[in-house]
Amino acid sequence: MSIINIYMIIIMLLSISSYFYGRNFIKNKTSTSTEKQHSKDTYHGAFISLYLILPSIIFLSLWIVISPNIIDELLTIKIIYIFGQLGIDELKILKSQVIALSNGVLIAGNLSEEVNYISDYYLYIQTVSKKIYIILSCLGSAAAFLYARKKITIRFNARFNVEVIVKSIMILASLIAILTTVGIILSLVVETIRFFEIINIADFLFGLKWSPQIALRADQVANEGLFGAVPLFAGTLMITVIAMVVAVPIGLMTAVYLSEYASNTLRSIAKPALEILAGIPTVVYGFFAALTVAPFLRDKGADIGLTLSSESALAAGLVMGIMIIPLISSLSDDVINAVPQSLREGSAALGSTKSETVKKVILPAALPGIVSAILLAVSRAIGETMIVVMAAGVAANLTANPFESVTAVTVQIVVLLVGDQEFDSAKTLAAFALGFTLFIITLGLNILSIYIIRKYREQYD
Amino acid sequence: MRENGKMKNDYKVKTENITVDYGEKRALHGINLNISSNEVTSLIGPSGCGKSTFIRCINRMNDLIDGCKVNGKILIDNEDINNQNMDVVELRAKVGMVFQKPNPFPKSIFDNVAYGPRIHGTVKNKEELENMVRKSLKRAGLWNEVHDRLDASGLSLSGGQQQRLCIARAIAVNPDILLMDEPCSALDPIATAVIEELINELKERYTIMIVTHSMQQAARLSQKTAYFHLGEMIEFGDTSSIFTNPKHEMTEAYISGKIG
Amino acid sequence: MTNKKISALTKKRYSSEKRFKAYCIAALALAMAILFTLLSSITLNSLPAFTQTHITTDVYLDKNLLDPNNTNDLEAILREGPWRSLAKSSLREMVPGVNDRKEKRELYGLVSVIAGDSIKYYVKENPNDIGKKVQINIPSSDDIDLLTKGLIDRNLPEENRTVSNLQLKWLDQFIYEKRVSKRFAWKLFNHGDSREAEVAGLKGAIAGTLLTMFVTLIISFPIGVMTAVYLEEIAPKNRMTDFIEVNINNLAAVPSIVFGLLGLAVFIGYFGMPRSAPLVGGIVLALMTLPVIIIATRASLASIPPSIREAAYGVGASQLQVINHHVLPLAIPGILTGTIIGIARAAGETAPLLMIGMMAFIVDTPHKITDKATVMPAQIYMWANNPERSFESLTSAAILILLIILITMNALAIYLRKKYERKW
Repeated sequence: MSIINIYMIIIMLLSISSYFYGRNFIKNKTSTSTEKQHSKDTYHGAFISLYLILPSIIFLSLWIVISPNIIDELLTIKIIYIFGQLGIDELKILKSQVIALSNGVLIAGNLSEEVNYISDYYLYIQTVSKKIYIILSCLGSAAAFLYARKKITIRFNARFNVEVIVKSIMILASLIAILTTVGIILSLVVETIRFFEIINIADFLFGLKWSPQIALRADQVANEGLFGAVPLFAGTLMITVIAMVVAVPIGLMTAVYLSEYASNTLRSIAKPALEILAGIPTVVYGFFAALTVAPFLRDKGADIGLTLSSESALAAGLVMGIMIIPLISSLSDDVINAVPQSLREGSAALGSTKSETVKKVILPAALPGIVSAILLAVSRAIGETMIVVMAAGVAANLTANPFESVTAVTVQIVVLLVGDQEFDSAKTLAAFALGFTLFIITLGLNILSIYIIRKYREQYD
Repeated sequence: MRENGKMKNDYKVKTENITVDYGEKRALHGINLNISSNEVTSLIGPSGCGKSTFIRCINRMNDLIDGCKVNGKILIDNEDINNQNMDVVELRAKVGMVFQKPNPFPKSIFDNVAYGPRIHGTVKNKEELENMVRKSLKRAGLWNEVHDRLDASGLSLSGGQQQRLCIARAIAVNPDILLMDEPCSALDPIATAVIEELINELKERYTIMIVTHSMQQAARLSQKTAYFHLGEMIEFGDTSSIFTNPKHEMTEAYISGKIG
Repeated sequence: MTNKKISALTKKRYSSEKRFKAYCIAALALAMAILFTLLSSITLNSLPAFTQTHITTDVYLDKNLLDPNNTNDLEAILREGPWRSLAKSSLREMVPGVNDRKEKRELYGLVSVIAGDSIKYYVKENPNDIGKKVQINIPSSDDIDLLTKGLIDRNLPEENRTVSNLQLKWLDQFIYEKRVSKRFAWKLFNHGDSREAEVAGLKGAIAGTLLTMFVTLIISFPIGVMTAVYLEEIAPKNRMTDFIEVNINNLAAVPSIVFGLLGLAVFIGYFGMPRSAPLVGGIVLALMTLPVIIIATRASLASIPPSIREAAYGVGASQLQVINHHVLPLAIPGILTGTIIGIARAAGETAPLLMIGMMAFIVDTPHKITDKATVMPAQIYMWANNPERSFESLTSAAILILLIILITMNALAIYLRKKYERKW
């Protein structure tokens, strides 16, 4: 990248200086003319400077997206040319050797002469690709600069042209959000489809046994039940339910108290405190669960004769519930505050006590909002990773006992992907399949929550 | 370009068959109204009659409203303002506007007035800019009150002063035409009197169109009056004749307070 | 209906009212108690990690030993000096009569395995002391550290504790000679990660976090603000912009680990960016932070009254001038608040970074965004998984430092919001 970096810095400097060039250029033109200049000098400067830099940037993004593909293709051709036709796995291994060698990760001495040769070739095509990029964008930028210079006249509407460019850049920026979604869906879907080529989709969704470690041995990959994800779903579900049992009542009651009963002083202390609770990183909650809550529960359980696993679903669920309290309380607080004052006054005027007003008037009016808040919280709990990674188990037990150790979808994604992995093994692909399942479920919950809000929202104005 | 319409027969603003639609709803039904230079024209009528919509056509402020469509021809100095070649920014520099509620920028008094000249590049240097600000504030009758605190925020002024600041801001870009959309409706009677006096002075230099709810104000200020009702222009003529001898019964009903 | 009956019913209603209120107070109190427990347990746990036990040793900086060829080349001396054996021999001198191999090993176990580095550092700072006998503070081993802090019970039988009776005896002798001192553990901030608790520090993780957040900020801030401005101020209301909006709202609810999968498949898998690098971590976190910034910026833009925009259009400003000169400057406090909250959230994020390998054991401090690096939360995760006892308080200390940074950021955001809150 270094040569590209240098080029980009040069182009940026040129672009900045062409801004001043453009300003002086139009100033000189106007000073010898009687006509009234259309746009201010700065717009002419900005116009020429944007024209100079844009081709280079556009080519750069194209190059970043396209060149890895082409280089990979050329590398494949070269390897096949030298080694003859190879199996997919052998090709992969050779490729990673070549790349590791050219990155300096591997030492040349340990590898065959052919690999060394291909590695040199690989470095060579990389350099060529960089050179091609630089030549093309030099030409593009120079042409654009000359074009812009020719365009600049006294009556030229530089402001309009600059604004069109700026607006286009903004439109591109807003497309990043779409690109991200597309990227997520594509990467998940592609790998998931490859996973289902190895593992039957029904086995994945309905299988009761999960033990991916065995799949490392090629002869056992297709063994039925190894990638049955039901224990994972059940574990996630149990932890989520425990979390909700903790978070919903506490969060909701807190919100009711803060918005209906609390004095301003208390509110001004409690609200930031809840925000602090919401701002604590999940890894901290995980540590708290593993180090404080789980041993505490185990000891107390032992006192009354219960055997708790030190990685019990209960500990993970409790702490996840704690993490979710501020989410529920702040979302509910918003919807409770959105209930108009007139309803409270109307209820009070009929002689209701405050709690009757809350229970019979405010909560029913706020119900859609509260339900959608709970759905968002559920989706958050399902996707939460660090707490379960640190406090829940790794072994996939299918159990309904919250005192035993269970595992969760996110735990398995981490377990499958952390550490050195082969990119195409069933293990890696399984992680993407789990991720895709997670994505679909949280997406569904989110859409449902938006739908409920839209459908049942009372129009008070 | 600015001859300030010395040719008496030629109109400064000519509108032909203006219709405005907000989505499905038609707000103006074919308005034809011609306005001469250096006169004050009042637009009166009950709420929702389309008078504000009409003057917002003159500087194309309706462009900013999603789903609003303006049809018909509007000529200013015989130039079609909806023409492809017309730059809306240059149009608005030529046609200033003062809004219902005083809306100074949350900046200093100086920066408020200087904003227009700065973006249009009509001044060459700091000195010219200062002159322009001083001249505009003087014309708006605000100079004596604020000359010692030009750095104070525009929002620190009283309501009437804020409105005059907005007028100064509008005239700092040397417009030909000033549009005023109920400029006194948010002000108390004393501030209103000051603004009215100011409008009387301004008509020497500018062509003014003013939307007002107050018939007395229209009578006091304007040479011409147009009466709007439910998106149509019912009557247009000299103010004196409209108020003393309305030709249309609806105009009469409005003026005598039967339609509100 | 008699008065008495009404009052009985009313009484019941009032007691139900009281009950309800009590439940609500209990819920709030519970939430606060949990917050208090969490913060206090972490603070208490972390306190031992902020001090470190040192043993003052008499070291003879023998010139013949350090510079046998008499080159006076300090660099070479520092590079090749027998620092470790120097530390060992000075320990032997302080405790004469230790000859048994096992006893020697126990003796050396009193001080940190990198005790030699302390001597080396001393020589680097005071090169003129070569040839003299000097006193140098050497960090003790982590077991001795735990013992002096009372975290290992010296009354336990010998086989149940990690410090032997012999070591205890020597330690008591050192304490009697006033050689044992507790000092602030600066190594937390000027050392990288290590397998040895007594030298493990956060320098690398802090640098990694800074680099990662830098990448996150320079990507998510401009893109987020431009997107928000486009959607709120410029875009026509049509299917396309609706679609973008729905997209952004959904992205805000996508689990963070899924962003990690995206980073692994696209940025590392397809674009071939380096694993474990702040570059990839920063990009992934930027995509995650984007919705937060967009939503906050839009809210901030929407709260600016349209009269400001009308006023600017009225004097002939173009759309971008209206945005640049009036709308954006007024929205800046709201934008900054949203950005700070978003970045604080990203700085505490772990899961997506595990996916892209930013939890490797890395001793060196990263300097470039393509260096291998780890971040604070990932460091906490790794230390939390370390079974050694002394890593427990170290983890708590790292958490405390991270929390202080994050809470400061959030407090700054709340302060900005309060200070520049404008009522129109």
